[in-house]
Amino acid sequence: MPETPALDVRGLTVRYGDVTAVHDLTLAVPRGETVALLGANGAGKSSVVNAALGLFRPAAGTVRLLGREPTAALQAGGVGAMLQHGGLPSEARVGEVLALVRRRYADPWPLADLAATAGIGGVLGRSVDALSGGQRQRVLLALALAGAPPLLLLDEPTSAMDVEGRQAFWATMRDLAGRGHTVVFATHHLDEADAVADRVVVVDGGRVVADGTAAAIKSRIGGRTVRFRCPGPRDGLSGLPGVTGAGGDGDWVELATSDAEATLRALLAGHDALPDLEVRGASLEQAFLHLTSTADGALR
Amino acid sequence: MTDLFLFQLRRVGRNKQYLFFTVLLPALFTIFFTQVIGGQVPAGEFQDLAGAVLVSMMAYGAIGAALGATIRMAFDRSSGWLRQLRVTPVPAGSVFAVDVLVGALLVLPSLVVVALVGRFVNGVEFGLGTWVALVGSLWAGSVVFVALGVAVGLALDAQAAGAAIGILGTVLAALGGLWFPVEMFPGGMVTLARALPSYWFAELGRDVAAGTFTGAPVLVLAGYGAVFAAAALVVARRRPLHAVAG
Repeated sequence: MPETPALDVRGLTVRYGDVTAVHDLTLAVPRGETVALLGANGAGKSSVVNAALGLFRPAAGTVRLLGREPTAALQAGGVGAMLQHGGLPSEARVGEVLALVRRRYADPWPLADLAATAGIGGVLGRSVDALSGGQRQRVLLALALAGAPPLLLLDEPTSAMDVEGRQAFWATMRDLAGRGHTVVFATHHLDEADAVADRVVVVDGGRVVADGTAAAIKSRIGGRTVRFRCPGPRDGLSGLPGVTGAGGDGDWVELATSDAEATLRALLAGHDALPDLEVRGASLEQAFLHLTSTADGALR
Repeated sequence: MTDLFLFQLRRVGRNKQYLFFTVLLPALFTIFFTQVIGGQVPAGEFQDLAGAVLVSMMAYGAIGAALGATIRMAFDRSSGWLRQLRVTPVPAGSVFAVDVLVGALLVLPSLVVVALVGRFVNGVEFGLGTWVALVGSLWAGSVVFVALGVAVGLALDAQAAGAAIGILGTVLAALGGLWFPVEMFPGGMVTLARALPSYWFAELGRDVAAGTFTGAPVLVLAGYGAVFAAAALVVARRRPLHAVAG
Protein backbone atom coordinates (compact mmCIF):
# COMPACT_ATOMS: atom_id res chain seq x y z
CA MET A 1 0.00 0.00 0.00
CA PRO A 2 1.49 3.38 -0.94
CA GLU A 3 2.15 5.78 1.90
CA THR A 4 -0.33 8.68 2.22
CA PRO A 5 1.15 11.80 0.62
CA ALA A 6 2.46 14.55 2.88
CA LEU A 7 0.29 17.04 1.02
CA ASP A 8 -2.73 15.98 -0.96
CA VAL A 9 -4.75 18.70 -2.65
CA ARG A 10 -7.64 17.65 -4.85
CA GLY A 11 -9.83 19.83 -7.03
CA LEU A 12 -9.05 22.93 -4.97
CA THR A 13 -10.98 26.02 -6.00
CA VAL A 14 -10.59 29.28 -4.10
CA ARG A 15 -12.77 32.30 -4.72
CA TYR A 16 -12.61 35.80 -3.27
CA GLY A 17 -15.97 37.31 -4.18
CA ASP A 18 -16.16 37.18 -7.97
CA VAL A 19 -12.46 36.48 -8.42
CA THR A 20 -11.39 32.86 -8.73
CA ALA A 21 -7.83 32.68 -7.41
CA VAL A 22 -7.38 28.91 -7.72
CA HIS A 23 -9.09 26.75 -10.36
CA ASP A 24 -9.66 23.08 -9.66
CA LEU A 25 -6.03 22.53 -8.65
CA THR A 26 -4.77 19.06 -7.82
CA LEU A 27 -1.35 18.41 -6.32
CA ALA A 28 0.09 15.50 -4.39
CA VAL A 29 3.46 15.72 -2.67
CA PRO A 30 4.94 12.41 -1.49
CA ARG A 31 6.75 12.33 1.84
CA GLY A 32 10.34 13.46 1.78
CA GLU A 33 10.03 15.55 -1.37
CA THR A 34 11.04 19.20 -1.63
CA VAL A 35 8.62 21.03 -3.87
CA ALA A 36 8.61 24.63 -5.06
CA LEU A 37 5.33 26.27 -5.95
CA LEU A 38 6.67 28.72 -8.48
CA GLY A 39 4.59 31.58 -9.73
CA ALA A 40 4.41 35.34 -10.16
CA ASN A 41 2.72 37.47 -7.53
CA GLY A 42 -1.01 36.87 -7.71
CA ALA A 43 -0.61 33.46 -9.38
CA GLY A 44 -2.52 31.81 -6.53
CA LYS A 45 0.40 30.32 -4.56
CA SER A 46 -0.61 31.88 -1.24
CA SER A 47 -4.21 30.85 -1.73
CA VAL A 48 -3.08 27.26 -2.19
CA VAL A 49 -0.88 27.39 0.92
CA ASN A 50 -3.51 29.11 3.08
CA ALA A 51 -6.25 26.72 1.97
CA ALA A 52 -3.90 23.79 2.59
CA LEU A 53 -3.44 25.07 6.15
CA GLY A 54 -7.19 25.34 6.66
CA LEU A 55 -7.08 29.11 7.16
CA PHE A 56 -10.26 29.41 5.13
CA ARG A 57 -12.79 27.09 3.65
CA PRO A 58 -12.22 26.65 -0.10
CA ALA A 59 -15.10 26.99 -2.56
CA ALA A 60 -14.46 23.40 -3.65
CA GLY A 61 -11.98 20.59 -3.21
CA THR A 62 -10.30 18.77 -0.38
CA VAL A 63 -6.95 19.06 1.37
CA ARG A 64 -5.20 16.41 3.44
CA LEU A 65 -1.98 17.00 5.32
CA LEU A 66 -0.28 13.72 6.25
CA GLY A 67 -3.61 12.04 5.61
CA ARG A 68 -5.63 14.28 7.95
CA GLU A 69 -7.80 17.37 7.83
CA PRO A 70 -5.56 20.49 7.97
CA THR A 71 -6.68 21.60 11.43
CA ALA A 72 -6.29 18.10 12.86
CA ALA A 73 -2.83 17.75 11.32
CA LEU A 74 -1.78 21.11 12.76
CA GLN A 75 -3.16 20.29 16.21
CA ALA A 76 -1.33 16.98 16.15
CA GLY A 77 1.93 18.83 15.58
CA GLY A 78 2.69 17.31 12.20
CA VAL A 79 2.94 20.55 10.27
CA GLY A 80 5.08 23.65 10.55
CA ALA A 81 4.19 26.73 8.53
CA MET A 82 5.48 30.15 7.62
CA LEU A 83 2.75 32.47 6.38
CA GLN A 84 3.07 35.53 4.26
CA HIS A 85 0.87 37.44 6.69
CA GLY A 86 2.02 35.74 9.84
CA GLY A 87 3.16 37.85 12.75
CA LEU A 88 4.50 37.94 16.28
CA PRO A 89 2.86 39.22 19.47
CA SER A 90 3.80 42.66 20.76
CA GLU A 91 5.06 43.06 24.34
CA ALA A 92 6.53 39.55 24.42
CA ARG A 93 10.09 38.26 24.41
CA VAL A 94 11.30 35.98 21.64
CA GLY A 95 12.11 33.20 24.12
CA GLU A 96 8.61 33.35 25.61
CA VAL A 97 6.95 33.07 22.22
CA LEU A 98 9.14 30.14 21.31
CA ALA A 99 8.50 28.40 24.65
CA LEU A 100 4.72 28.82 24.23
CA VAL A 101 4.77 26.96 20.92
CA ARG A 102 7.50 24.41 21.73
CA ARG A 103 5.56 23.25 24.78
CA ARG A 104 2.75 22.04 22.51
CA TYR A 105 4.87 19.40 20.88
CA ALA A 106 5.49 16.03 22.43
CA ASP A 107 9.03 16.01 21.13
CA PRO A 108 10.12 19.57 20.36
CA TRP A 109 13.34 20.49 18.63
CA PRO A 110 15.93 21.08 21.40
CA LEU A 111 15.96 24.80 22.13
CA ALA A 112 19.65 25.57 21.74
CA ASP A 113 19.85 23.70 18.45
CA LEU A 114 16.60 25.25 17.20
CA ALA A 115 17.79 28.76 18.04
CA ALA A 116 21.12 28.11 16.32
CA THR A 117 19.45 26.62 13.25
CA ALA A 118 17.05 29.52 12.88
CA GLY A 119 19.83 31.99 13.67
CA ILE A 120 18.08 33.62 16.64
CA GLY A 121 20.40 32.52 19.45
CA GLY A 122 21.30 36.13 20.19
CA VAL A 123 17.77 37.54 20.39
CA LEU A 124 15.95 35.06 22.67
CA GLY A 125 15.82 37.60 25.50
CA ARG A 126 14.87 40.48 23.26
CA SER A 127 11.41 41.97 22.94
CA VAL A 128 9.64 41.06 19.71
CA ASP A 129 8.98 44.77 19.17
CA ALA A 130 12.73 45.43 18.90
CA LEU A 131 13.45 42.95 16.09
CA SER A 132 14.48 43.81 12.55
CA GLY A 133 12.50 42.46 9.60
CA GLY A 134 15.02 39.70 8.96
CA GLN A 135 15.09 38.73 12.64
CA ARG A 136 11.30 38.54 12.76
CA GLN A 137 11.36 36.24 9.76
CA ARG A 138 13.88 33.99 11.47
CA VAL A 139 11.76 33.86 14.63
CA LEU A 140 8.80 32.84 12.45
CA LEU A 141 11.02 30.17 10.96
CA ALA A 142 11.90 28.94 14.46
CA LEU A 143 8.17 28.73 15.26
CA ALA A 144 7.60 26.67 12.11
CA LEU A 145 10.46 24.35 13.04
CA ALA A 146 9.69 24.22 16.78
CA GLY A 147 8.24 20.72 16.65
CA ALA A 148 10.61 19.42 13.98
CA PRO A 149 7.42 18.60 12.04
CA PRO A 150 7.49 16.08 9.18
CA LEU A 151 5.80 18.57 6.83
CA LEU A 152 6.82 22.19 6.30
CA LEU A 153 4.58 24.57 4.33
CA LEU A 154 6.34 27.84 3.65
CA ASP A 155 4.87 30.85 1.87
CA GLU A 156 7.59 33.11 0.45
CA PRO A 157 9.78 32.27 3.45
CA THR A 158 12.79 34.36 2.47
CA SER A 159 10.98 37.54 1.44
CA ALA A 160 12.40 39.66 4.29
CA MET A 161 15.86 38.06 4.37
CA ASP A 162 19.13 39.38 3.02
CA VAL A 163 21.38 37.26 0.80
CA GLU A 164 23.24 35.63 3.69
CA GLY A 165 20.02 34.93 5.51
CA ARG A 166 18.57 33.30 2.43
CA GLN A 167 21.60 31.09 1.94
CA ALA A 168 21.53 29.96 5.56
CA PHE A 169 17.79 29.37 5.29
CA TRP A 170 18.08 27.12 2.26
CA ALA A 171 20.99 25.24 3.76
CA THR A 172 18.67 24.46 6.70
CA MET A 173 15.90 23.35 4.35
CA ARG A 174 18.26 21.09 2.41
CA ASP A 175 19.43 19.58 5.66
CA LEU A 176 15.83 18.94 6.77
CA ALA A 177 14.95 17.47 3.40
CA GLY A 178 17.98 15.22 3.70
CA ARG A 179 16.58 13.93 6.99
CA GLY A 180 13.26 13.00 5.39
CA HIS A 181 11.18 16.10 6.07
CA THR A 182 8.78 17.18 3.35
CA VAL A 183 9.26 20.82 2.36
CA VAL A 184 6.71 22.64 0.21
CA PHE A 185 7.48 26.28 -0.43
CA ALA A 186 5.90 29.02 -2.51
CA THR A 187 8.28 31.38 -4.21
CA HIS A 188 8.64 33.75 -7.11
CA HIS A 189 12.43 33.40 -7.05
CA LEU A 190 13.42 31.14 -9.91
CA ASP A 191 16.90 30.61 -8.51
CA GLU A 192 15.47 29.29 -5.23
CA ALA A 193 13.19 26.86 -7.03
CA ASP A 194 16.03 25.78 -9.32
CA ALA A 195 18.58 25.31 -6.56
CA VAL A 196 16.52 23.77 -3.78
CA ALA A 197 13.52 21.89 -5.11
CA ASP A 198 13.39 18.26 -6.26
CA ARG A 199 10.29 19.25 -8.12
CA VAL A 200 8.94 22.52 -9.41
CA VAL A 201 5.22 23.13 -9.77
CA VAL A 202 4.63 26.20 -11.89
CA VAL A 203 1.39 27.94 -10.95
CA ASP A 204 -0.18 30.58 -13.13
CA GLY A 205 -3.66 32.03 -13.03
CA GLY A 206 -4.56 29.60 -10.24
CA ARG A 207 -3.68 26.53 -12.30
CA VAL A 208 -0.72 24.18 -12.49
CA VAL A 209 0.92 24.88 -15.87
CA ALA A 210 4.00 22.67 -15.40
CA ASP A 211 5.08 20.07 -12.87
CA GLY A 212 8.43 18.28 -12.87
CA THR A 213 12.10 18.63 -12.03
CA ALA A 214 13.66 21.99 -12.84
CA ALA A 215 15.60 20.27 -15.65
CA ALA A 216 12.45 18.72 -17.11
CA ILE A 217 10.68 22.06 -17.06
CA LYS A 218 13.60 23.77 -18.76
CA SER A 219 13.65 21.09 -21.43
CA ARG A 220 9.96 21.53 -22.07
CA ILE A 221 10.60 24.62 -24.11
CA GLY A 222 13.09 22.54 -26.06
CA GLY A 223 15.32 25.30 -27.31
CA ARG A 224 19.07 25.71 -26.90
CA THR A 225 21.27 28.73 -26.88
CA VAL A 226 24.46 28.76 -28.98
CA ARG A 227 26.98 31.32 -27.83
CA PHE A 228 30.41 32.25 -29.17
CA ARG A 229 32.78 35.15 -29.64
CA CYS A 230 32.65 36.82 -33.02
CA PRO A 231 34.55 40.07 -33.50
CA GLY A 232 33.99 40.12 -37.27
CA PRO A 233 30.92 40.61 -39.44
CA ARG A 234 27.75 38.78 -38.39
CA ASP A 235 25.77 38.82 -41.62
CA GLY A 236 23.49 35.91 -42.21
CA LEU A 237 23.60 34.46 -38.70
CA SER A 238 19.87 34.82 -38.14
CA GLY A 239 19.23 32.98 -41.41
CA LEU A 240 21.08 29.81 -40.31
CA PRO A 241 19.06 26.60 -40.01
CA GLY A 242 17.14 26.26 -36.74
CA VAL A 243 17.85 29.79 -35.52
CA THR A 244 14.81 31.47 -33.98
CA GLY A 245 16.52 34.59 -32.76
CA ALA A 246 19.90 36.29 -32.73
CA GLY A 247 21.39 38.66 -30.21
CA GLY A 248 24.45 39.22 -28.08
CA ASP A 249 26.49 41.97 -26.58
CA GLY A 250 30.02 43.18 -27.30
CA ASP A 251 31.98 40.46 -29.02
CA TRP A 252 29.48 37.83 -27.99
CA VAL A 253 26.83 36.42 -30.26
CA GLU A 254 23.90 34.50 -28.88
CA LEU A 255 21.65 32.44 -31.12
CA ALA A 256 18.44 30.88 -29.91
CA THR A 257 17.79 27.72 -31.85
CA SER A 258 15.22 24.99 -32.06
CA ASP A 259 17.76 22.62 -33.67
CA ALA A 260 21.17 23.10 -32.14
CA GLU A 261 22.82 20.43 -34.24
CA ALA A 262 21.76 21.91 -37.59
CA THR A 263 22.73 25.38 -36.44
CA LEU A 264 26.18 24.20 -35.36
CA ARG A 265 26.84 22.31 -38.59
CA ALA A 266 26.05 25.40 -40.62
CA LEU A 267 28.12 27.62 -38.32
CA LEU A 268 31.15 25.34 -38.44
CA ALA A 269 30.92 25.10 -42.22
CA GLY A 270 30.97 28.86 -42.60
CA HIS A 271 33.53 29.82 -39.95
CA ASP A 272 37.15 28.81 -39.51
CA ALA A 273 37.08 29.52 -35.80
CA LEU A 274 34.33 29.86 -33.20
CA PRO A 275 36.17 30.95 -30.07
CA ASP A 276 34.58 30.15 -26.67
CA LEU A 277 31.73 28.22 -28.23
CA GLU A 278 29.02 27.15 -25.78
CA VAL A 279 25.73 25.34 -26.23
CA ARG A 280 23.35 25.70 -23.31
CA GLY A 281 19.86 24.65 -22.41
CA ALA A 282 17.22 27.22 -21.70
CA SER A 283 17.23 28.79 -18.23
CA LEU A 284 14.38 28.19 -15.84
CA GLU A 285 13.52 31.82 -16.30
CA GLN A 286 13.05 31.40 -20.06
CA ALA A 287 11.00 28.29 -19.43
CA PHE A 288 8.92 30.06 -16.81
CA LEU A 289 8.18 33.06 -19.00
CA HIS A 290 7.34 30.78 -21.90
CA LEU A 291 5.03 28.60 -19.79
CA THR A 292 3.20 31.40 -18.04
CA SER A 293 2.78 33.52 -21.17
CA THR A 294 1.18 30.63 -23.08
CA ALA A 295 -1.11 29.91 -20.15
CA ASP A 296 -2.10 33.56 -20.13
CA GLY A 297 -2.81 33.37 -23.83
CA ALA A 298 -4.98 30.30 -23.33
CA LEU A 299 -7.08 32.12 -20.76
CA ARG A 300 -7.93 35.01 -23.03
CA MET B 1 -4.15 26.69 28.58
CA THR B 2 -2.38 27.91 31.73
CA ASP B 3 0.77 28.73 29.81
CA LEU B 4 -1.15 30.77 27.25
CA PHE B 5 -3.00 32.51 30.08
CA LEU B 6 0.23 33.49 31.84
CA PHE B 7 1.77 34.50 28.52
CA GLN B 8 -1.11 36.88 27.76
CA LEU B 9 -1.18 38.22 31.31
CA ARG B 10 2.52 39.01 31.17
CA ARG B 11 2.09 40.84 27.87
CA VAL B 12 -0.67 43.11 29.17
CA GLY B 13 1.29 43.64 32.36
CA ARG B 14 4.19 45.02 30.30
CA ASN B 15 1.92 47.61 28.74
CA LYS B 16 2.62 50.74 30.82
CA GLN B 17 -0.20 52.65 29.17
CA TYR B 18 -2.68 49.98 30.20
CA LEU B 19 -1.51 50.03 33.82
CA PHE B 20 -1.59 53.82 33.86
CA PHE B 21 -5.14 54.15 32.56
CA THR B 22 -6.68 51.25 34.49
CA VAL B 23 -4.95 51.42 37.86
CA LEU B 24 -3.04 54.64 38.39
CA LEU B 25 -5.45 57.10 36.79
CA PRO B 26 -8.62 55.88 38.59
CA ALA B 27 -6.65 55.88 41.87
CA LEU B 28 -5.43 59.45 41.29
CA PHE B 29 -8.94 60.58 40.28
CA THR B 30 -10.30 59.05 43.49
CA ILE B 31 -7.95 61.20 45.55
CA PHE B 32 -8.34 64.28 43.38
CA PHE B 33 -12.16 64.38 43.24
CA THR B 34 -12.54 63.56 46.91
CA GLN B 35 -10.01 66.09 48.16
CA VAL B 36 -11.00 68.92 45.79
CA ILE B 37 -14.78 68.65 46.09
CA GLY B 38 -14.57 67.32 49.64
CA GLY B 39 -13.11 70.64 50.81
CA GLN B 40 -16.29 72.43 49.72
CA VAL B 41 -18.90 70.25 51.48
CA PRO B 42 -19.85 70.37 55.14
CA ALA B 43 -17.84 67.96 57.30
CA GLY B 44 -20.92 65.78 57.90
CA GLU B 45 -21.28 65.08 54.17
CA PHE B 46 -17.66 64.18 53.50
CA GLN B 47 -18.13 60.44 54.07
CA ASP B 48 -21.05 60.32 51.61
CA LEU B 49 -19.05 62.18 48.99
CA ALA B 50 -15.91 60.09 49.47
CA GLY B 51 -17.98 56.90 49.22
CA ALA B 52 -19.76 58.08 46.06
CA VAL B 53 -16.48 59.06 44.37
CA LEU B 54 -14.96 55.75 45.40
CA VAL B 55 -17.75 53.70 43.81
CA SER B 56 -17.69 55.80 40.62
CA MET B 57 -13.92 55.45 40.27
CA MET B 58 -14.02 51.71 40.93
CA ALA B 59 -16.57 51.47 38.12
CA TYR B 60 -14.47 53.72 35.87
CA GLY B 61 -11.30 51.71 36.44
CA ALA B 62 -13.09 48.39 35.98
CA ILE B 63 -14.67 49.48 32.69
CA GLY B 64 -11.31 50.70 31.37
CA ALA B 65 -9.55 47.51 32.44
CA ALA B 66 -12.19 45.22 30.92
CA LEU B 67 -12.30 47.12 27.61
CA GLY B 68 -8.55 47.66 27.39
CA ALA B 69 -7.67 44.01 27.93
CA THR B 70 -10.17 42.62 25.45
CA ILE B 71 -10.09 45.17 22.63
CA ARG B 72 -6.39 44.24 22.34
CA MET B 73 -7.55 41.19 20.39
CA ALA B 74 -7.69 43.49 17.39
CA PHE B 75 -3.95 44.18 17.70
CA ASP B 76 -3.10 40.48 17.74
CA ARG B 77 -5.20 39.89 14.69
CA SER B 78 -3.75 42.83 12.74
CA SER B 79 -0.18 41.83 13.55
CA GLY B 80 -0.80 38.34 12.16
CA TRP B 81 -0.05 36.68 15.52
CA LEU B 82 -3.47 35.02 15.70
CA ARG B 83 -2.98 33.58 12.20
CA GLN B 84 0.45 32.39 13.21
CA LEU B 85 -0.94 30.69 16.33
CA ARG B 86 -3.56 29.07 14.16
CA VAL B 87 -0.86 27.15 12.26
CA THR B 88 0.71 25.83 15.47
CA PRO B 89 -0.76 23.13 17.72
CA VAL B 90 -2.02 25.84 20.13
CA PRO B 91 -5.80 25.24 20.05
CA ALA B 92 -7.63 28.13 18.40
CA GLY B 93 -10.52 28.12 20.86
CA SER B 94 -8.27 28.55 23.86
CA VAL B 95 -6.87 31.80 22.45
CA PHE B 96 -10.30 33.36 22.59
CA ALA B 97 -11.14 31.93 26.01
CA VAL B 98 -7.85 33.13 27.45
CA ASP B 99 -8.40 36.71 26.28
CA VAL B 100 -11.81 36.73 27.96
CA LEU B 101 -10.34 35.35 31.19
CA VAL B 102 -7.44 37.81 31.14
CA GLY B 103 -9.90 40.66 30.63
CA ALA B 104 -12.00 39.50 33.56
CA LEU B 105 -9.00 38.99 35.84
CA LEU B 106 -7.38 42.34 35.10
CA VAL B 107 -10.43 44.17 36.38
CA LEU B 108 -9.52 43.06 39.87
CA PRO B 109 -6.29 45.06 40.46
CA SER B 110 -8.08 48.19 39.34
CA LEU B 111 -10.98 47.58 41.77
CA VAL B 112 -8.71 46.66 44.67
CA VAL B 113 -6.27 49.55 44.25
CA VAL B 114 -9.08 52.14 44.07
CA ALA B 115 -10.76 50.53 47.10
CA LEU B 116 -7.50 50.69 49.08
CA VAL B 117 -6.95 54.30 48.13
CA GLY B 118 -10.54 55.11 49.13
CA ARG B 119 -10.10 53.38 52.45
CA PHE B 120 -6.64 54.52 53.46
CA VAL B 121 -6.17 57.86 51.67
CA ASN B 122 -9.70 59.22 51.72
CA GLY B 123 -10.82 57.44 54.89
CA VAL B 124 -13.98 55.85 53.52
CA GLU B 125 -15.48 53.69 56.26
CA PHE B 126 -17.39 50.59 55.16
CA GLY B 127 -17.75 47.35 57.06
CA LEU B 128 -15.52 44.51 55.89
CA GLY B 129 -18.54 42.69 54.42
CA THR B 130 -19.46 45.77 52.40
CA TRP B 131 -15.93 46.08 51.01
CA VAL B 132 -15.93 42.46 49.95
CA ALA B 133 -19.44 42.69 48.47
CA LEU B 134 -18.54 45.91 46.66
CA VAL B 135 -15.41 44.52 45.01
CA GLY B 136 -17.15 41.19 44.30
CA SER B 137 -20.30 42.66 42.75
CA LEU B 138 -18.38 45.12 40.57
CA TRP B 139 -16.03 42.37 39.50
CA ALA B 140 -18.96 40.19 38.50
CA GLY B 141 -20.71 43.11 36.78
CA SER B 142 -17.59 43.94 34.76
CA VAL B 143 -18.30 40.84 32.66
CA VAL B 144 -20.68 43.09 30.70
CA PHE B 145 -17.75 45.26 29.62
CA VAL B 146 -15.57 42.26 28.90
CA ALA B 147 -18.26 41.14 26.45
CA LEU B 148 -18.46 44.64 24.96
CA GLY B 149 -14.67 44.73 24.57
CA VAL B 150 -14.63 41.36 22.86
CA ALA B 151 -17.29 42.46 20.37
CA VAL B 152 -15.44 45.71 19.63
CA GLY B 153 -12.04 44.00 19.47
CA LEU B 154 -13.32 41.44 17.00
CA ALA B 155 -15.05 44.04 14.86
CA LEU B 156 -12.32 46.66 14.54
CA ASP B 157 -8.85 46.82 13.02
CA ALA B 158 -5.84 47.77 15.10
CA GLN B 159 -5.95 51.50 14.51
CA ALA B 160 -9.66 51.92 15.17
CA ALA B 161 -9.41 49.57 18.14
CA GLY B 162 -6.63 51.65 19.70
CA ALA B 163 -8.82 54.73 19.50
CA ALA B 164 -11.91 52.82 20.66
CA ILE B 165 -10.30 51.76 23.94
CA GLY B 166 -9.84 55.38 25.00
CA ILE B 167 -12.99 56.85 23.48
CA LEU B 168 -15.39 54.14 24.60
CA GLY B 169 -14.10 54.18 28.17
CA THR B 170 -14.23 57.97 28.36
CA VAL B 171 -17.70 58.29 26.85
CA LEU B 172 -19.14 55.57 29.07
CA ALA B 173 -17.57 57.18 32.14
CA ALA B 174 -18.42 60.79 31.37
CA LEU B 175 -21.99 60.28 30.10
CA GLY B 176 -22.74 57.51 32.59
CA GLY B 177 -22.12 59.89 35.49
CA LEU B 178 -18.88 58.37 36.76
CA TRP B 179 -16.83 61.56 36.67
CA PHE B 180 -19.62 63.94 37.62
CA PRO B 181 -22.72 62.59 39.31
CA VAL B 182 -25.91 62.51 37.21
CA GLU B 183 -27.51 64.86 39.81
CA MET B 184 -25.39 67.59 38.18
CA PHE B 185 -26.62 66.71 34.65
CA PRO B 186 -29.32 68.66 32.74
CA GLY B 187 -32.58 66.73 32.14
CA GLY B 188 -31.88 65.24 28.72
CA MET B 189 -28.44 64.05 29.77
CA VAL B 190 -29.96 62.20 32.71
CA THR B 191 -32.13 60.17 30.34
CA LEU B 192 -29.04 59.39 28.26
CA ALA B 193 -27.03 58.41 31.33
CA ARG B 194 -29.75 56.04 32.46
CA ALA B 195 -29.62 54.33 29.06
CA LEU B 196 -25.92 53.47 29.47
CA PRO B 197 -24.54 50.28 31.06
CA SER B 198 -21.90 52.33 32.87
CA TYR B 199 -24.59 54.17 34.85
CA TRP B 200 -26.17 50.90 35.98
CA PHE B 201 -22.77 49.43 36.76
CA ALA B 202 -22.06 52.31 39.15
CA GLU B 203 -25.65 52.06 40.41
CA LEU B 204 -24.95 48.44 41.33
CA GLY B 205 -21.94 49.61 43.34
CA ARG B 206 -23.94 52.37 45.04
CA ASP B 207 -26.67 49.90 45.99
CA VAL B 208 -24.18 47.48 47.48
CA ALA B 209 -22.32 50.25 49.32
CA ALA B 210 -25.57 51.59 50.77
CA GLY B 211 -26.89 48.14 51.56
CA THR B 212 -30.08 48.88 49.59
CA PHE B 213 -30.08 46.14 47.00
CA THR B 214 -32.89 46.71 44.46
CA GLY B 215 -32.11 44.26 41.69
CA ALA B 216 -32.76 46.78 38.91
CA PRO B 217 -29.05 47.27 38.10
CA VAL B 218 -28.54 43.52 37.91
CA LEU B 219 -31.41 43.11 35.46
CA VAL B 220 -30.27 45.96 33.22
CA LEU B 221 -26.65 44.78 33.27
CA ALA B 222 -27.69 41.21 32.49
CA GLY B 223 -29.63 42.53 29.48
CA TYR B 224 -26.63 44.52 28.24
CA GLY B 225 -24.36 41.55 28.85
CA ALA B 226 -26.58 39.33 26.72
CA VAL B 227 -26.70 41.90 23.90
CA PHE B 228 -22.91 42.39 23.90
CA ALA B 229 -22.20 38.67 24.06
CA ALA B 230 -24.59 38.04 21.16
CA ALA B 231 -22.90 40.82 19.19
CA ALA B 232 -19.50 39.28 19.90
CA LEU B 233 -20.69 35.90 18.65
CA VAL B 234 -22.10 37.38 15.45
CA VAL B 235 -18.89 39.28 14.72
CA ALA B 236 -16.73 36.26 15.59
CA ARG B 237 -18.60 34.19 13.08
CA ARG B 238 -18.20 36.81 10.34
CA ARG B 239 -14.59 37.66 11.05
CA PRO B 240 -12.69 34.68 12.46
CA LEU B 241 -9.75 35.58 14.67
CA HIS B 242 -7.24 34.32 12.14
CA ALA B 243 -8.68 36.31 9.23
CA VAL B 244 -6.37 38.84 7.65
CA ALA B 245 -7.08 42.35 8.89
CA GLY B 246 -9.70 44.12 6.81
